[in-house]
Amino acid sequence: MTSRPILLIEDNPDDVALTLRALKKNHILNPITVASDGAEALEFLFDDDDTHAREPGLILLDLKLPKVDGLEVLRRIRADERTSLIPIVVLTSSKLEEDILSSYRGGANAYVRKPVNFAEFAEAIKTLGMFWLLLNEAVPE
Amino acid sequence: MAQPPREDIAVSRDWAPARLFPAIVNSSDDAIVGETLDGVIASWNPAAEGMYGYAAAEIVGRPATVLCPPGGEDEGQEILAKIGRGVHVPHYETFRRRKDGTDFPASVTVSPIHDEAGRLIGASSITRDVTEQMHARAAAEVLHRADDLKTATGSLESFTYSVSHDLRAPLRAMSGFSAALLEEYGDVLGEDGQHYARRIVAASEHMTALIDNLLRLSRLSRAEMHLDPVDLGAEAAQIAAELADDDPGRHVRFTIQRPVLVQADRALIRIVMHNLLSNAWKFTSGRDDARIEFGTAPARDAPVCYCVRDNGAGFDPAYTHKLFSPFQRLHPASEFPGTGIGLAIVRLIVERHGGRVWAEGAVGAGAAFYFTLGAEESA
Repeated sequence: MTSRPILLIEDNPDDVALTLRALKKNHILNPITVASDGAEALEFLFDDDDTHAREPGLILLDLKLPKVDGLEVLRRIRADERTSLIPIVVLTSSKLEEDILSSYRGGANAYVRKPVNFAEFAEAIKTLGMFWLLLNEAVPE
Repeated sequence: MAQPPREDIAVSRDWAPARLFPAIVNSSDDAIVGETLDGVIASWNPAAEGMYGYAAAEIVGRPATVLCPPGGEDEGQEILAKIGRGVHVPHYETFRRRKDGTDFPASVTVSPIHDEAGRLIGASSITRDVTEQMHARAAAEVLHRADDLKTATGSLESFTYSVSHDLRAPLRAMSGFSAALLEEYGDVLGEDGQHYARRIVAASEHMTALIDNLLRLSRLSRAEMHLDPVDLGAEAAQIAAELADDDPGRHVRFTIQRPVLVQADRALIRIVMHNLLSNAWKFTSGRDDARIEFGTAPARDAPVCYCVRDNGAGFDPAYTHKLFSPFQRLHPASEFPGTGIGLAIVRLIVERHGGRVWAEGAVGAGAAFYFTLGAEESA
């Protein structure tokens, strides 16, 4: 169960590199798929067969994405029966109240503002990984 | 083909100018007033009576300046001088005063009057009450301004969004990759290299704090206000206790006047008190006998003002004007850390309450910050 892949939906290559580094530093060794915009994420999840849609154990979702934005990605993931129960953590720079509210209303399981300081960022990633991939009892397959 | 003029009109006695003109004047909705060359009212139509509230009998023979609000008398003199030179004065807008002392906006036209021999004998002024037009114009202006404001607020929202999102991302990269350099290539970098990388980390964190404060300032300027009775003394006492808890090594003597009741937005005024008191706390850190006081004081433009005073580092009064501007700092960060936004926030909140804020101080002799909350809002 702990080796289910993480889907990271993030357009900023710096943030992708830092997130990967933070995961590695914290020994979270699950396979990671990176989608660099919302359209790519939806294509990956909802391609011809069902395998990808059922795979991720955790989705880390940025809100401000090119093409299909994060809230729309969230809506589409929640609307599809195959992905409706995957834990989604919104991981974003924004702390606008409306973004937080829309994320929760859209069915996000958590909302985390990316800290600028790397030590804090790595700590946040570690906590998220520990909680959602280890501690939290996942939906039975 | 144009019709020929109607003969019956031209020859009718009913339509003879001598009979007709008084009828036109008497039926006009505009006040039509005749004045002599030295500015005495000589004729007064029914509309003038309705508009000003004077009957013809009580106003004819009096100077026309009684129809002008105080300070407007010169205008009449100036116009009479123009008329004296035979000049017609086209529409102009001004104010007129009614018998009951109230004023109204008026559109006025003044023309010279000549007698049968062609000599200039006076002036006729036609006055229209334009109160309604003024209201309509003001209403249109308000709508226009509201539209502008909506546009401005919209662009401020998107600006705020891009500041909070787009500016933080590169900062995170600067901080994150510098940290990666330190951790993974520390020995290659050497001592100086590590020092430089740490400075990049520190600078990106400082800029993050600046951005967060800028956002806070922008949010505060838009926050809705709810006025409630607030005891500033109680707020001050609570903040003082928090400051002491956070920094138990220090001994600061607080003197706080209680109660100090005001009408204010509790959340916002608490930020004011917190910023002023924590500044006082910070700038007294070099003293063993630190003292911080809060209380009321007399003010020249309000019933009372509120004052936070300390005996700390103070400031050079030459730079008082810079104190309340965002990101202005009068002390080096090494001595007293900060981003320079606290007092800008204080000013913003105080001004939103209709008050003002000012400071007194001298280097090494402490500082005093005063604010008012607007006369109508002080309880």
